[in-house]
Amino acid sequence: MQSLDVISVNIWSILISLANLIILFLIIKKFLFKPVKNIMAKRDAEIEEAYASAEQARRSAAADEKAWQEQMEHAQEEADRVLQDATKNARYREEKMIEAARNEAEGIVRSARQEAALERKKATDEIRREIVEVSGALTEKLLNREINEEDHRAIIASFISEVGEGGPDE
Amino acid sequence: MKEKSRRFILVDILYISIMLLPILIGLVLTILTKPQAEGITITGARIFLRVSMPLQSLLITEAQIHSWLVMISILGLCLYLTHGLKTRQVRSRQHLAEWIVEKVDFLVKDSMGEYFMGFSAFIASILALSAFSSLLALFGLYPPTSDLNVVAGWAVLVFILITYYKSKCGPWQYMKSFTEPVPFLTPLNIISEVATPVSMAFRHYGNVLSGAVISVLVATGLQGLSRLLLGWLPGFFGGIPFLQIGIPAVLSIYFDVFSGCLQAYIFAMLTMMYVSGGFPLELYMKRKTQKKKLEVM
Repeated sequence: MQSLDVISVNIWSILISLANLIILFLIIKKFLFKPVKNIMAKRDAEIEEAYASAEQARRSAAADEKAWQEQMEHAQEEADRVLQDATKNARYREEKMIEAARNEAEGIVRSARQEAALERKKATDEIRREIVEVSGALTEKLLNREINEEDHRAIIASFISEVGEGGPDE
Repeated sequence: MKEKSRRFILVDILYISIMLLPILIGLVLTILTKPQAEGITITGARIFLRVSMPLQSLLITEAQIHSWLVMISILGLCLYLTHGLKTRQVRSRQHLAEWIVEKVDFLVKDSMGEYFMGFSAFIASILALSAFSSLLALFGLYPPTSDLNVVAGWAVLVFILITYYKSKCGPWQYMKSFTEPVPFLTPLNIISEVATPVSMAFRHYGNVLSGAVISVLVATGLQGLSRLLLGWLPGFFGGIPFLQIGIPAVLSIYFDVFSGCLQAYIFAMLTMMYVSGGFPLELYMKRKTQKKKLEVM
């Protein structure tokens, strides 16, 4: 088998070698650089997307928190208001109740007083009548004679009015 | 899921075999065709096929076949590294792939500028082809970079790129660039322009070849020395070149691994410097904006 000399120049060999380098360039570009660059770009895009979504999530969480805080404040106010309303209502009702009770009590007292007055009047009337009858009978028996009805009644009436003036006020 | 992962592993095995088989083929080919070396023989690549073509006959040499094998290997490596790329829970191989791409991108951006970012794949291919070709020597295979024609091909391509970017502002600007900084330096400028690819090719090829030559010389010398010093050992032991153990390995680490990678780096760096250095970027940008203005008007 023949060998080349240590230093030998062959144009075709040079051309083949040149073509080899170009082919290897294409191979490396297509099979190493392109896929690696693609995957790196994809990863960058993914990271960007993740960051964006994280930012969005953070923002929405902050908004939620704010809304929640506002709601909480509102709730406090609402509670205060409700409590106030309730207190006011209760006080009002209390006053009303007390007033009603007082009125009722007054009514009861008044009616009791009226009844008592009426009762007393009735009693005095009764007593007066009984006195008249008793005194009539008494005088009849005492005199034992028929006196003039007319005179009799007049005497008794004057007597009773004397008695009435001495008794409790009517 | 399990079916999928099994398929994944099968594809992985396929890619790894694309990566490793060429080396195996190279080894088998070398073992089958390499004649028994007698003493010190330093020759170029062995010729497998000779096709007559105009100018010169087309030679299919060991160097070319080995560089094709390296290319197939690199293809397998690329496929393996980019197999199953994900955006999350990244495999370690993806880390490696991304690291390579980022490093090369950074290198290109650093030494060529933003405008030449498209060069990063080209620079990566120069680095890979040159480094892996030189590293083939680790397997005892003929490294394609120690053939002048292979490296000259790359240098010619770089020269074409330099010239293309230099003449991007028009042929007149290209001509003018030779008369700078002073007109009477024109012949020197032309010489240095032509010398660029030649020096690049010879530097790379010479480094790798000289490493191989020194390795062979040292190995042969050690064999002789060992025969001289330890030849008195009885019988079988006298024939074993003890001094050849270890010392050539250290040399191999320097010449094959370190020098190979360093030359790849130097070649890539020089490519970047020459291409970006020869390109009048500011002038080009100025003309571009002027053209745009004219178009708008």
